[in-house]
Amino acid sequence: MATLIQQIINGLSLGSIYALIAVGYSLVYSILMFSNFAHGGFLIIGGYFCYFALNSAGFNIWIAGFGALVGAGFAAVATERLTYKPIRERTSVTLYLLIASMGMNIVIENIFVIVAGGRFRALPPVIPTTPVHLFGNATTSALDLISLVTAFVFLGGLQLFLTKTKWGLAIRAAACDLRVAGLMGVNTSKLISIVFFVAGLLAAVGGIFLSVRYTLYPQLGMITIKAFVAAVIGGLGSLPGAVVGSLILGLSEMLTAGFLSSQLRDLVVFSLLVVTLIVRPTGLFGKDVKEKV
Amino acid sequence: MSAYAEGIFILLLINAIAAMGVSLLTGFTGIFTLGHAAYLALGSYTTAILTLDYGIAWLPAVLAGGIVAMVVGYLIGLPTLKLMGDYYAIASIGLAESIRLILENWQSLTNGARGLAGIDTFTTLPVALSFFIVMAIAAFCLINGRFGRSLKACRDDHVAAALLGFDVAKIRVASLSISALYCGLAGGLYAGFISFIQPMMFDMLKSTEMTAVVVFGGLGSMSGCILGTTVITMVTELFRPISQYRMLIYGLVLVLVMVLRPEGMMGQHEIGGLLKRLFRRGGDRS
Repeated sequence: MATLIQQIINGLSLGSIYALIAVGYSLVYSILMFSNFAHGGFLIIGGYFCYFALNSAGFNIWIAGFGALVGAGFAAVATERLTYKPIRERTSVTLYLLIASMGMNIVIENIFVIVAGGRFRALPPVIPTTPVHLFGNATTSALDLISLVTAFVFLGGLQLFLTKTKWGLAIRAAACDLRVAGLMGVNTSKLISIVFFVAGLLAAVGGIFLSVRYTLYPQLGMITIKAFVAAVIGGLGSLPGAVVGSLILGLSEMLTAGFLSSQLRDLVVFSLLVVTLIVRPTGLFGKDVKEKV
Repeated sequence: MSAYAEGIFILLLINAIAAMGVSLLTGFTGIFTLGHAAYLALGSYTTAILTLDYGIAWLPAVLAGGIVAMVVGYLIGLPTLKLMGDYYAIASIGLAESIRLILENWQSLTNGARGLAGIDTFTTLPVALSFFIVMAIAAFCLINGRFGRSLKACRDDHVAAALLGFDVAKIRVASLSISALYCGLAGGLYAGFISFIQPMMFDMLKSTEMTAVVVFGGLGSMSGCILGTTVITMVTELFRPISQYRMLIYGLVLVLVMVLRPEGMMGQHEIGGLLKRLFRRGGDRS
């Protein structure tokens, strides 16, 4: 029983980090209709920004974290401006954007391989990882609880931004139809930049927590593939879907690791993806788009 | 030819066979895949296990590898090819990663993450070249024939194709099976070339590389994909001395091609067609 509660808390905590990343995938997908595989790059940009701000510049975690979030956000905007925008202006085939985003992921990853080296780095102990006792005998780490709370704060903030602000309204309109939103007077180019900034910022939050949980290395971005799977399970383009999918994924991963074998956890993740797609091709919360002939 | 140059040439031929398979599916049928490294893995593991554990000669083993990949492709295609657009691509990531993880965890058969070593190096230049020639001729016959036209019909407008009486689902599954066969054979030859295989070689990066090569060469152009393979293999081999920058340059090439010429080097043209046009223009002048 103690293990069960422990694994559930671990799963929720991991799932909430996935959710931060998956929401970024979904945001970009809902506006531009392509899966931005460079998202993993934004995550490690955030991680390395934070690492160097803490170690080389000696800032405290709040300033370093803030710098990492803003830095990753602007990196995401720059990526969009430099590579996706020229392609979007030239063609409407989203496949080309997909391939370009994979290329960008390789580029960002290898910039860090060259600049920072391929070795594993541990963040200084800025986020406590001490064990915490819950409900009598279940033990979990403080990091798990902190990441859970942080994820909920950021996701709540995003929800407020999307529902209460004017730009949030514009983003929701553009998610229905970007072109029509543009015709109604929304500055789509600025809107896309804002979406990428938010996605990059959330990825950086995930990146910082993941580099405390595991360690920081250039290929850490590969972990976003699981967040991507979560976004697909929930239904690409749906934000609640991304969150629910991430929690399902985090829970199933941790429960598999706890009760079956930790080698099988990735297999469970990908089987979940395939089964979901076969049973419900647009994901749990996906919109059923009827094809127009 | 030095041994090094010969090695690169063999690798090039193997990559081209795999690329033709992906081109058939992605370029001609319009089904985008991000998981074709799995068929490569199935082919090379089947070949390796048959030659190592059962002492079967290399040629039947390679063919068996192709057939295993084809059967798995067919079984995978039946339920998943109903998915349209990006969703098949996403499902293919999941399927390919599942296959890789199964290979990694099936210790007794595949030796897990440590991989299989000591495979006979049977893929010499004549072997690779004859495989390549046979497969290329088959591919060109396939795309210029009746079947190829039905593939292109399904790619360009699957609704119209269905209205014209094409069985779109069946054609898509057939296309995936043939494409898996190509990749399986390429995988078998690869095992016989490199003599050591492990699951990590067939990860998502390999899959995306296979698709990227085809897009780079030109979607819908068989000779374009061979040209694309040549360029990408050369770029990655030439920059091997500055290995740190190799992947960076590879990524940049990919991004630049998408920004500057998204339809790929050849677009939908074949080298033969371009030469013919060039020749005709020369004839007009004289």
